[in-house]
Amino acid sequence: MLVIENCRLTWPDFAADYSLSVKAGSLCAVIGPSGGGKTTLLHMIAGFETPEDGTLAFNGQDLMPLEPAKRPMAIVFQDHNLFPHLSVAQNVGLGLRPSLRLTADEKHLIAEMLDSVGLHGFASRKPGEMSGGQRQRVALARALVSGRPLILLDEPFSSLDPGLRRDMILLADKLRRKRSVTMLMTIHTPEDVADVADQMVFVADGKVVASGPPAAVLNSSLAPRIAAAVSDS
Amino acid sequence: MTIRLPHPGSLVAFAILGLVAGGFIALATFDGGTPPLLSIGPYLGRVLAFSVIQAALSTVLSLVLGIGLALALARRRFPGRDIVLATLGTTMVMPTIVAVFAVFAVYGRSGWLAEALAFLGWEEGFSIFGYPGILIAHVFLNAPFVARITLDGLNQVPAEHWRLAATFGFTPVQVFRHLDWPVLRAELPGIAGLIYLMCFKSFAIVLALGGGPSRSTLEVAIYEALKIDLDFGRVAWLALIQLAICLSMTGLLHWAFTRPPVGHTIRALVRRPDAKARSLKIADALMLAIGVLFIGPLALSVLTGLRNMVDVLGADLLEAFATSLAIATLAASVACLLAVALASAARRRRIAMRSPRVAALYDFLPDTLLAVPPFALTAGLFLMIQRFADPSAAGLILLPLINGLAAVPFAYRYVAPRLLTVEERYGRVAASLGITGWAKLTIMDWPALKRPLAAGFALAMALSFGDFGIIALFGGTELTTLPYLLYERLGAYRLDEASAIGLFIVLVAFVLAHLSGRMSHAGD
Repeated sequence: MLVIENCRLTWPDFAADYSLSVKAGSLCAVIGPSGGGKTTLLHMIAGFETPEDGTLAFNGQDLMPLEPAKRPMAIVFQDHNLFPHLSVAQNVGLGLRPSLRLTADEKHLIAEMLDSVGLHGFASRKPGEMSGGQRQRVALARALVSGRPLILLDEPFSSLDPGLRRDMILLADKLRRKRSVTMLMTIHTPEDVADVADQMVFVADGKVVASGPPAAVLNSSLAPRIAAAVSDS
Repeated sequence: MTIRLPHPGSLVAFAILGLVAGGFIALATFDGGTPPLLSIGPYLGRVLAFSVIQAALSTVLSLVLGIGLALALARRRFPGRDIVLATLGTTMVMPTIVAVFAVFAVYGRSGWLAEALAFLGWEEGFSIFGYPGILIAHVFLNAPFVARITLDGLNQVPAEHWRLAATFGFTPVQVFRHLDWPVLRAELPGIAGLIYLMCFKSFAIVLALGGGPSRSTLEVAIYEALKIDLDFGRVAWLALIQLAICLSMTGLLHWAFTRPPVGHTIRALVRRPDAKARSLKIADALMLAIGVLFIGPLALSVLTGLRNMVDVLGADLLEAFATSLAIATLAASVACLLAVALASAARRRRIAMRSPRVAALYDFLPDTLLAVPPFALTAGLFLMIQRFADPSAAGLILLPLINGLAAVPFAYRYVAPRLLTVEERYGRVAASLGITGWAKLTIMDWPALKRPLAAGFALAMALSFGDFGIIALFGGTELTTLPYLLYERLGAYRLDEASAIGLFIVLVAFVLAHLSGRMSHAGD
């Protein structure tokens, strides 16, 4: 269980105060207007932003004092996930060993992971030679290969075509179930995840405004605000 | 039947090639032709060896200091960081002759260092002439350039990569390997090549600080052959060799390094995970201390001119200022006109006529102007027009022309990419509406071109205003620019007056360069 209680962050022009809990092994979709604090929420969980007070814990472990590298978490961004000078296999390998001194077992694991995201035979390619969708598959593979139980996805598939976006969400969801990891995903298009997400969270003005099953959130009195947020982006 | 006029850009290209070729022919055929190359062999060998070695040392030292500073500045936030950055920016546009003054003021016979040492009881004295002075001046001018370009490059690293580095727990070595090194590897060959080229053809610094006939670059050798010996044949040989070497270097540079170092993005500040490593804290502190101790006094020495400002304000200063400004304005106009003509010809070849190879030649032409020795070109053109004009009038024609040609590559970098973007965006619409020629230039191109052109104009003015090049040939009581005035005062060891003139030049050059920077970034 991911538990966030009254985590406050303040900037001169923005303030956030998050409270949220997410069941272990579930897929939680975070929606809301741009500039409302979705990404900040993920950055806080990852450790890029430090709340002034509050509680942040995962499966009973307090995350607050931990460096990003020590947190049980991996992250996938919308863009720039891969280092262009490294091959696909090396980029995935970073999730296991930043030194890239990989054992034979680890190399085998990387190959397996690439297979499972549909990138068989891509190991030695460079990111520059791949499509946007393929690059996000590599990023997903790296997040999963690390074996960390919590995966944060920040608009992971927003720059892809609608059809491909849906395919990628289904792939991410399949792998989540198979490896029983917890996923937190910010997304612009709630309809893409409505049927696969266990939980949907509406974040606006730095606060969690609503949280619950997707159908409940989408059909609540927030529906007009959600529609406005979607068309806005 | 219609007669198709050639594109203005083609005319400009042929005119430039014609001028250069004409100048060389005039040199080579003057007064019974050129002597055999062997007759200047040993002298040439010494000059070449000195040019190569000092340029190599200058480049290596500039890169080490510049990259060290860039990494330290990228990793650290400290009070005064903005001042360091501003100083680096100012030093980048500092004219070479002002750098010469700074070296005299800090390291000269009665400079700050000598005074400090004398105060401590060390009266030996030391000479800055030769390698020390030249290297100090070159590194002072170029290390800040390396630091700024590298820092801009490091700032282009996406914020996501820094966050990933934090989640992977990269060590400082891994941060360097995966985040800093790819940037350095992409930028370094181009920067190193450019600095090497600039130091190889260095003139004012080597002329003032060389301190001996064998301590000269080819550029200085050409100047001396002209000014002292009036040996046009030797000038022709030296110029040909200089042209051949610099042309091959610019060729290499042009094709190895196509991305122009213009513009920089400002990204959200991201904490670098390696900032906490203790060894790097020590290394960065050391690097910053070295940088501040080396660049600081040299940059500050120019500011001492403030207290002598009133003393030098006289008729000769104002006249020199007016002449410099007029030459700079004309030179910038020449540079911008040629740049626009060449860039639009390159664009037409690339897009409308689908011949990227010819377009690439147009793109290369401005860079080749960096390789043409200005003194030889000046001498050749002077020989061509001397029948029609007396020397000071010839100077008034040649100074803006030569300075303008030298600034074309810089103006071109502002103009050419923008012209291409406009064509890609609106070219089809314009074509479908039948907007061509002059109408296309005024309706489609001009609105987009205004700002980059103004930026290029201001930069060309800044370069020309501070230039101490061929004015060394024409300068005198008849024709004086501010840099020439500064050179005269330095020669007479009147450092107080020199400091005030130096400050004046830097202020004008800095304002122009600042304007240029503002205009190139605004409205994007």
